[in-house]
Order: sequence, then structure tokens, then C-alpha cells
Amino acid sequence: MRIVILAPSVYSETACATAANLAQSGYVPSGAIALRSLDSRTLRRKLGQWGARRFFSYATTKLLPRKNEDAQTHTVNRYLTSFLNYGSKAFRSLREVGMYYGFPVAVCRDQNESPSIAFMRERSPDLIIFTGGDILRQPVLTVPRLGVLNIHLGFLPEVRGMSAPEWSLLTNVPLGITIHYMNAGIDSGPVLGKFELPGAARDCDSLTDLRNRLIAFGVEKTAEVVAALDRSLISANPQSRLDQDNQFFVMHEVLQRRAAACFVQNRKLAIPEAARG
Amino acid sequence: MKNLRIEQAAPVSAGVNGSGHRQRNLVNRQLHDPTPALLARALKESAGLLRAPQRLLPLAQRLTSDFLREIFERPHLYSYTTTKRSSTEILDLVLGWIYNAQRLDGGIAGYYSLLTGYSDSYPEVTGYIIPTLYDYAKTADDDRAVHAAERATQWLLSLQTPEGAFPGGLHGSHMHASVFNTGQILQGLVRACRETKTPDVLDSAIAAGDWLIRMQQSDGSWSGPGAYQDAAHTYYSMVAWALAELSELADHRNPCESYGAAAERNIDWVLRHFHPSGWIGGINLRGHPNYLHFIAYVLQGVLECGILRRRSDAIDAVKKSAWVLLRKFEASKFLAGAFEGDFKTKHHFTCLTGNAQMSCVWQRLYEVSGDLRFFNAALKMNEMLKELLPMGGGKGIAGGVSGSHPIWCRYQPLRYISWGCKFFADALLLEQRITQSLQIPRNKTLPCAS
Repeated sequence: MRIVILAPSVYSETACATAANLAQSGYVPSGAIALRSLDSRTLRRKLGQWGARRFFSYATTKLLPRKNEDAQTHTVNRYLTSFLNYGSKAFRSLREVGMYYGFPVAVCRDQNESPSIAFMRERSPDLIIFTGGDILRQPVLTVPRLGVLNIHLGFLPEVRGMSAPEWSLLTNVPLGITIHYMNAGIDSGPVLGKFELPGAARDCDSLTDLRNRLIAFGVEKTAEVVAALDRSLISANPQSRLDQDNQFFVMHEVLQRRAAACFVQNRKLAIPEAARG
Repeated sequence: MKNLRIEQAAPVSAGVNGSGHRQRNLVNRQLHDPTPALLARALKESAGLLRAPQRLLPLAQRLTSDFLREIFERPHLYSYTTTKRSSTEILDLVLGWIYNAQRLDGGIAGYYSLLTGYSDSYPEVTGYIIPTLYDYAKTADDDRAVHAAERATQWLLSLQTPEGAFPGGLHGSHMHASVFNTGQILQGLVRACRETKTPDVLDSAIAAGDWLIRMQQSDGSWSGPGAYQDAAHTYYSMVAWALAELSELADHRNPCESYGAAAERNIDWVLRHFHPSGWIGGINLRGHPNYLHFIAYVLQGVLECGILRRRSDAIDAVKKSAWVLLRKFEASKFLAGAFEGDFKTKHHFTCLTGNAQMSCVWQRLYEVSGDLRFFNAALKMNEMLKELLPMGGGKGIAGGVSGSHPIWCRYQPLRYISWGCKFFADALLLEQRITQSLQIPRNKTLPCAS
């Protein structure tokens, strides 16, 4: 199975963990292509999304010389630590994963532009795994033999679009992930698998923690889906209810507070006091 | 009471130059070639700076601020998802603007121009701002708002004709009875009547309602004398809303022709102009684009009338159109100030009043349907409007909602408009009500979702 990883940045922990986990499962990617980290559009978006404090904390974690090699100390998503550790060290960028497992990593300005598509075509991939970046246009979607995989942090078709875990909480949809092929719509492609987050994994202390847990869950399940696809054990099913508009958008912080309150309430109901300690 | 002629009334909110009522021949001349009138208006307004050169500094400040914002600020998917300015403080500021805009006669000025200062009182806005004042008085426990609403009501009563109609345009500019303005003022009278239980106000509201029914065409629309440009407009659904409100209060006083039935007749006519794409035809303003303000008027009128008359077909139609606009706003964090058919647009400015109205429509749709996506979009819209609100600058500027953003653009250029403040205050009041009903914990900061 020839796989290409699409990443939002070479420092993306999700992309690093996905590539490393696939490689450890025996599916070393044929290549990876990441968006430029110092792109003004990305920087502005991240500043707006995270705020200045978290933005600079992330930048220093990734860019300043490392004090030690332990992934725990410089990984933002603690649930990805196990995927990022190798020997006594830990991957900090996709370049390091590429060097370790021997696959090329290219950096581009736009994942839809011709040089990016040429890089992908050269690798004649069976599968592209999308871990973030631009909205993909048709020329990219037609490059791989099987399709472009996306890991959506919610159930499809119930919760399409952004802030899926938070909207799942507010609309009483089970927490979980969906691995699906991408098409021209938003989260509307055929589904390869829906996986509910196990109850034991829900003891998170915040929405960010829950989101991180779901990302790690997605990384784990991606390798399983790739293996199943390789052995032709699964096939994609078109989504139902596409006529209904189930698209959700980035959640405002007022509603995030409401979602957090729902989450705390659900957790109290699901996990007995004694078990929570 | 005054005697008015019934003639076409140009809503101040429609006019590029906002001068209100015009003689029919003048309107027709402007429609064919608006340039000379616009130039004359621009020269007249600019002369305002010669009379009051101290206005030059705020003008330059606002132009520079909007210019810089245009250059550097490009909204993205995560824009407006966090609260940077408290809604309560902003609401107080907006109400402060409205108090300052109340003239000695009790009417609310139409606008504050950065060139010419406050305009004369504007009966239409003075009417439909009354519910906002009472709502704020209850929320903030502020007697000043009640006093302002009572003064506004008394002034309006002095303007009504023996037939029950009210004039269009700014006070003193012309004295022609206007269906739309009578409907908008009726909103305020009904609310004032509910709050004060004053018989005079009830009589005035009933006289206005009866006049509106007399002026209604058999198909449910309002056209001909009393209608702007003599034509029927779908945004007159706001008049239907006022009649539906009146029917709750006084249908027993008009057994022959119920106000509710008249409202529904108009809504039936308006619903025939809703396209499968969600677009609404029949706004019908010759010489003006379909400003978002008027599109939102149609939606507000049909929605509120639908809620009052329990018409699910009306609510569903509004939901469809409002969803199209919601998707546009969520995708680009921007709603164009005007649209052509099927919500296509070539305009790069935004109409802040229309934005505030859409926030109200979305919030009401949340209250009706329980779909939190509508409230989510409204919260972001309110954040955007809060960011564009001047926090200082003195009377007429601080807390004012400009016509367009950037302020020099087509809809009410260089003006802070009273109806913009009214709708923004409504949007913030709705936000408070819904937030309280959802029992959302306060002041607990959360990172934005990625």
C-alpha cells in the first residue's frame, strides 16, 4: 500500500503521529507534503484560533533547542506521546519521522498547486491521508487510486464540519470519530468506519483534553483502517441523509462553555465518584 | 393630529442620501439619473464641515481606522469566536447613543452624520425603537429608558392624522402618510399600550391599524398611494408583523376585519415571492440595490408574524433563507451589504444594520427551532458588530452603529444611524435572554476549538 501524508505543517503532531504509527504498523509512507510553517495566512489563522499566549507557547515548544529528548515534555497533545517516542527520543517534526523511516518530506505553499500534485503523482499513491491543510480541490482528490482519507472527530453524517466534538456534546450525538474518503463536499464522502470513543477514555478534564483524546484515537484507528483496506476487508459506504444540512461551524466560546458543562455533567453520570477518585 | 397627504414615502433607510420624502417628480428624476442629486447632497453635507470644523478630527479618525482595518484585517474561519468586549457594556453604550439621539421634541434623530451632525427626529424609528427601550429598561432596570419611551410615544401621538396614518421621512421634511412608517410606528404603539395601559395609546394604535387595513390591496399587499414608489414591496411584512401584534391586543375592537387576518393576507402574498433557493423577490426598490437591511426586514416580518399567527409555513420559509445567509456568513465571516437574485453579490461592503437584523432573525429561529447553529452564528455576528462599534468619540459617535462598513460605502455613508443602534440593541438583548435560558457558566475561559 503506497501512502502519502498531507500535513498542515511539518510540526503537526497529528501528522507526525499518523506517519510514525503507520510506519510502525508496517505501512511506511511513500512521502509527505506539508504546508509552509511560516506562511502568513497560517500564522494569522493560528493566532486567531489559539490566542497569542498559546501560539507562542506552541512555537517555543517546537522551535527552541530541546532540553531533553522525552516526548512528554514537548508534546502539546499528551495522548500522542506514545506514537511519537522512538527509542529514548521523540519526533518533533515530520522531517525527523521521514529521516528515521526513510521517506521524503516536501514543503509547499498550497496543497492544490501543480508542484504539490506532481510530488504526489510521482509517488503513485494508493491512498492519501489528510491530516490538515487546505480545502482539497478535485485534481488532488483524483491522484490516489483509492482516495483521500480524512479523520473526522465526530460521527458522520450526524455532525459534519467544524467543532465536531463540541457539537456532538450539545446535540447528544455519541463521541467518536469517522474515517472517510474525501470528496468535493465538506465531510460528505463515503465512510470507511465509525468508531465510538470507549467510555474509559472519556475521563478528560476539559474539552481540549477530549479533543486531544479523539485525535489520538483517530491516529490509532487510521492504522487499523489502512490495514483492513490493504487486505480488502472493508469497503466505503456512501453517507445517508446528505440532503439534510448537517453542517456545523466553528463554535463560539459561549456555546463551548455550555458544551463543557454538558461534558462535565455526562462524565459525572457515566463515571461513579469512587472511580474518578 | 395633523392632516397629511397620502403619497409615496421614501424610507430614509432606503435612500443613498437618506433625505427621506421627495415629491414624486423629483423621485422619478432621481431614478432616471441620480448623479446630480447625489452630487448636490454630497456638496450640502460637506458644507456641514465648514459650519462645524471640529467634526473633521472624528471624521479623519474613523476613515483612517476603517482604512487600516480594510488593509490588515482579513476575517478567517475562527474570527469572532471569542468575546473581546462584554455584551452588557456594549449594550449600555448603544443605549447611551439612543438617549443622546432623542431630540427635545421626544423624537429620535434619524442619524448622526460625521459631516452635518444630528438629523431631525425620525418618526418611523421613534416608533419601533419603543419596544427596544422597554426591553432594555426591564433587563437593566433603567428608568431612563422608560422615560425615553414615554416621551417618544407622546411625540408620535401628536403626529397622527385623523385617519390614523403617520408621516414618512424625517420630521418636517414632508408630511405624507406612509403605510410602512405607520406600520413601524404601530409596533411601538402596541408595546407602549401593553406597558402603560393608556387608552389614548390604544386608540391611536387601533386608528393606525384600521387605516392600514383600509389601504391594503385585495391581494394582501400595499401598493399605490402610501407605498414607496407606489409599488408593492415584500419588506412590508414588517407592517404585517405590527398588525399581528395589534391583533393580540385588540382584535375584539375590530370584529369586521381582524388585524390578524389582514396580517396573514400580507404574509401569504409575501410567501409567494420566496424562491426555492431561499431568495426573496419583490423587494422592488427602484434605484437602489437589494440592501441586506431590506432582505432582513422581509425575514423579520414574516418570521415574527409566523410565530404570532402559528404559521409553520412562514417560519420554514424564513428558516431556509436565513440558513443560506448563515452559510455565507460562516464561510467568510462577512455578509455583503446588498444582493442580486439568488443571493449573488458584487458588493464588498457590509450593511451593519442588516447584519444586526440577521442576528435577531437567527436568534429568534433558535428560540423557535432549538437549532443552536443559529444562535452560534448570531453570537459571532454580535462579536463582529461589537468590534466595529466606536467606544469613544463623544455624542453621536460613541456607541453608534454606522450605516456601512467601511463607513464611506454605499449604505448611509459617513453616518451613525438610529435604526442600526435599535437592531443591534435588540440583538444584544436577545443574546442575553438566550444565554440566561441556556444557563451558560460565565467568565470561564476556554481555548477556541480547532
